[in-house]
Amino acid sequence: MGTAFPTIILFNRHVGGYIFGMAGLEVLLPGDRISANQIPTSQKRKIGHGLRQEPDTSDFTATIGGLLDVDYRKKTAQIATPDGRYIPKAGDLVIAQVRLSAAESFHLYINAYSPQAILPQLAFEGATKKTRPQLKSNDLVYAKVVSAQKNMEIELSCVNPATGKAEPDGLGPLTGGMVFDVSPGLAERLLKKQGVAALEELGSRLQGGFEIAVGKNGKVWVDCPEAGVKGICAVGRCLREMDENELKDKEQKRLVNRIMNELERG
Amino acid sequence: MPREIDISNIERNFILEALQQGVRVDGRSLDQFRSLELEFGDEYGTVTTRLGKTRVHVQISAEVTKPLEDRQFDGIFTITTELSPIASAAYEVGRQTEQEVILSRTLEKAVRRSRAIDTESLCIISGAKCWSIRADVHVLDSDGGLIDCSCVAIVAALRHFRRPDVSVDGENVTIYTMAERVPVPLSIMHNPVCITFSFYHGGDTIVLDATRSEEQVRETSATFTVNDFELCQVSKMGGSPIDAVVLLKCINTALAKGKEINGIVAKKLAEDSTKRDVGGLIAELRAENER
Repeated sequence: MGTAFPTIILFNRHVGGYIFGMAGLEVLLPGDRISANQIPTSQKRKIGHGLRQEPDTSDFTATIGGLLDVDYRKKTAQIATPDGRYIPKAGDLVIAQVRLSAAESFHLYINAYSPQAILPQLAFEGATKKTRPQLKSNDLVYAKVVSAQKNMEIELSCVNPATGKAEPDGLGPLTGGMVFDVSPGLAERLLKKQGVAALEELGSRLQGGFEIAVGKNGKVWVDCPEAGVKGICAVGRCLREMDENELKDKEQKRLVNRIMNELERG
Repeated sequence: MPREIDISNIERNFILEALQQGVRVDGRSLDQFRSLELEFGDEYGTVTTRLGKTRVHVQISAEVTKPLEDRQFDGIFTITTELSPIASAAYEVGRQTEQEVILSRTLEKAVRRSRAIDTESLCIISGAKCWSIRADVHVLDSDGGLIDCSCVAIVAALRHFRRPDVSVDGENVTIYTMAERVPVPLSIMHNPVCITFSFYHGGDTIVLDATRSEEQVRETSATFTVNDFELCQVSKMGGSPIDAVVLLKCINTALAKGKEINGIVAKKLAEDSTKRDVGGLIAELRAENER
């Protein structure tokens, strides 16, 4: 175990820029043991990615390296890997790219070079056999993951199953704008609105603001109806620098000032 | 079989619209290169070149071998390139894709066929023994601009490389180790640099050093190999036609950029040389002194 110590230091150094839930920052390596009292004990708890329960005791073992992410209010526990490859999970919002159109469904990419997903042609708001949407290859869709089980194909939907409408998530095909690639960790922070002060600042200062759709698979769609191409590039640059440099709040404000100055200068 | 996933329609339309307005997604101007970084290894002839997010590692090695029958006075110089999945999941080991062939052929013509190295100086005993110089190009990260980055890396590595000193006594050849004698640099005739131009909107928009996304969107591209004083190679494989006057303007731009890049390489080589000269001892040990 002595050799694990330098690696933990390396992890801690990397971890500095992230904000996670209520628990303290605890870095786990594969094989580490987690005692039962560190995790919610309710019967309704949800054990997420990276944790495996020991057969004979109630302790858990980490199966991947990452951060222990415990939310006592939601009674969830998982290991977060902010920079890892996205793994689909039911209930996630993703931006997927249409690969081809089959008889009754579309086949889509969620990640490049990963198993494909299926989106039924009737899983859109107001879609019927006669008025189903026409999507071409390489179109983008904002969808929710319905089912993502091992050894089965991932299923997506662009409609709320209860109400039959695309709201409140705004699901459906995306048009115009631009899509930027970010890390899944930043995408999660954007969805939770944690530590992303730069975008709020940019939204208030950019002429006309901007529209944004965040996919948990690390894709962010941005559109600026008034500011146009330069505005979208400004948002994209903001996202890229936030992602690469893991900026804190003060640094984010400074970044926005720099971007707005360059934007106004033309 | 993995294949490059097409860019999405939204990205394609946006990049084209932005280029029409003279804007690039990463904020560069149309004729601006990404930052070029050279990192020399401890061993002579080792260099890692970084062009934005594209990363290429080149290793030069030398061994004594028998020259070819038809070129008994020349040494042998080969360039080996391979695209592996470490650069991108679209590449596969062993199977040669079109991009790999294009990369290999362009580098071959840019460096070897333009005689950047004086292969006659690699001859030890004509017809019997000569040096065989081998450049291994490893693409570590691929984000567009592979040809440009690889060419800079090869030339920098060749300029950095030192081969063991050799003495000949009749048929006997003595090869001295690096500790016995100072190794000998290669005889470099000129420093070729590849500059790739991408064309959009029927040739109206010309972009230098395209990223991967911009490469997927372009209509055609042309690669010019230049050194400090002349044009060595023009490579335009298919795509939409480009006016001759436009190509001439591109050549002038390429000549200017080539000088710039060679300046960067020379500066980095000087820095590395200074770093190897621990405590300035080379000046103290110099045998050539003024009277």
